[in-house]
Amino acid sequence: MRLNKRKIIDRLMLGIISALAIASAIPIFAIAVNVYSEGARYISLNFLIDLPPPPVGGGGGGIGPALVGTLVLVALALAIGGSIGFFTGLYLSEFSHTRLAQYTQMFLQVMVEFPTIIVGLFAYMILVAPLKRFNALAGAIALSIVIIPYIALNVREAYKSIPYTLKEAAFSLGVSAPIAYLRILLSAARRGVLTALLIGLAKAAGETAPLLLTILGTTFTYFGGLDQPINAIPLLIYNFALSPYEKWHQVAWGAAAVLLTIILAIFIVSRLIVKEVKV
Amino acid sequence: MSWAIEVQNLNVWYGDKHIIKNVSFRVPKNVIFAIMGPSGCGKSTLLRAMNRLLDLNPHARVEGQVKINGINIYGDNVDVTWVRRQFGMVFQIPNPFPHLSIYENVALGPKLNGLVKDKSQLDELVKQALQKAYLWDEVKNDLRKPASMLSGGQQQRLCIARALALKPRIILMDEPTANLDPVASSKIEELLLELKEDYTIIIVTHNPQQAARVSDYVAFLYMGELIEIGETSTVFTRPSNILTEKYVLGRMG
Ligand SMILES: Nc1ncnc2c1ncn2[C@@H]1O[C@H](COP(=O)(O)OP(=O)(O)OP(=O)(O)O)[C@@H](O)[C@H]1O
Ligand SMILES: [Mg+2]
Repeated sequence: MRLNKRKIIDRLMLGIISALAIASAIPIFAIAVNVYSEGARYISLNFLIDLPPPPVGGGGGGIGPALVGTLVLVALALAIGGSIGFFTGLYLSEFSHTRLAQYTQMFLQVMVEFPTIIVGLFAYMILVAPLKRFNALAGAIALSIVIIPYIALNVREAYKSIPYTLKEAAFSLGVSAPIAYLRILLSAARRGVLTALLIGLAKAAGETAPLLLTILGTTFTYFGGLDQPINAIPLLIYNFALSPYEKWHQVAWGAAAVLLTIILAIFIVSRLIVKEVKV
Repeated sequence: MSWAIEVQNLNVWYGDKHIIKNVSFRVPKNVIFAIMGPSGCGKSTLLRAMNRLLDLNPHARVEGQVKINGINIYGDNVDVTWVRRQFGMVFQIPNPFPHLSIYENVALGPKLNGLVKDKSQLDELVKQALQKAYLWDEVKNDLRKPASMLSGGQQQRLCIARALALKPRIILMDEPTANLDPVASSKIEELLLELKEDYTIIIVTHNPQQAARVSDYVAFLYMGELIEIGETSTVFTRPSNILTEKYVLGRMG
């Protein structure tokens, strides 16, 4: 009798917890379903290449300039933030006993939580205000600053996960530290390092706030130079969604579907990397 | 007599823990020199102090001298990569680079250190090293396969080949058979006797029988102190210290 009662309570609790878990996943699915049902129909090769349509009249148009801008910004952010983040992470892992590394790590953990609009404001102050012009470089720098802590902290984990005995094996070959870390041990940590870079990639592709105050956005220009305004997909979504034009709303939905696809693809690739059978 | 390596008043600390206590000894060339002692007495630490691998541990501090060819490896202006290249090291747990192929595991050191001029020289060096480690016949058709597919004993011989490919003067071995089955262990012991022709071998073991079987000279380390050192036959038949006697008779852990 008592046993039964306990069983019922157990079941009940399990049921409630499962329901809550499912409920917490609902928004993600709802968002994805919503974005694709509204936006997927606009996606085509031309949509990726073409200029946006004029607000009224004309054809469907596309997100060419924003896609080019995102590619340029993400590539620059990965080159700048990726290399700074990588070497910072390596330092954090290998000099973790030093004060400097401990403080740097704490600082980076704070940076992860930092409102990215403030990073944009910082880039505005140092790169936009002096040039008196919104520009691509300021956006790339802002994105770099945003992704550095993610990359550094994940690269640190990747190097930390290398067994000490492999590190000893590498150094016992009589090579210098840079060669040991970059030519031998990097391949032992490659999964973690790649994952770190992909997290940075996804972050750089998806961020909007750091771009608002830096690149301004263009509508009909693909690329005018690093010292000129440029567009990006998240920024296009923001601007077009706020516009009063129905056609731009459609482009924004299409762009959202493209962006979500990019992020999901990065996510799947990084999952596959982690899953790859461990040797 | 010229010595392969001379250790003088060596002290090692981990933090405030005094691990190696004023140890001095000399090793002649082309011999097998065994360092034996119970678990935790500091054997691995002593070995790593000899090629400055201990530098990797930020909490380790070393005092005293270790000389090869009369050069103190802890002296100023000594290049630590040069020091490490004088030694080949084999570890307690076989540690080939699991993500690299059998070939690359052996080739990596010579390649990165510029020991060879071209690919054919490298191929030859890899082959020689694998032959010396008695592994060639077992792997010659699988050179491109990952090292992780080898058995434990084969992995350890691969690590020996990796060490030999560096063309070192001295080979340091930290309990190279501790994690192997008896058959694989005896293969490695036979190999040691062959290698002695060309190299000086310093082998750490916690197994006195192994020291008796393979070594010419033996040192007994106990709680970080060098208790006794001498020709293996003497130390095992007429030990001069009661602790050594207990240890070689197997009356100590
Ligand atoms: N990285 C380290 N930091 C602090 N203490 C350590 C470290 N490595 C080893 N020790 C301590 O130093 C002492 C000697 O260790 P060492 O590994 O040299 O002994 P060993 O003789 O090789 O033992 P075993 O036969 O078990 O391998 C031990 O008390 C050990 O706990
Ligand atoms: Mg040991």
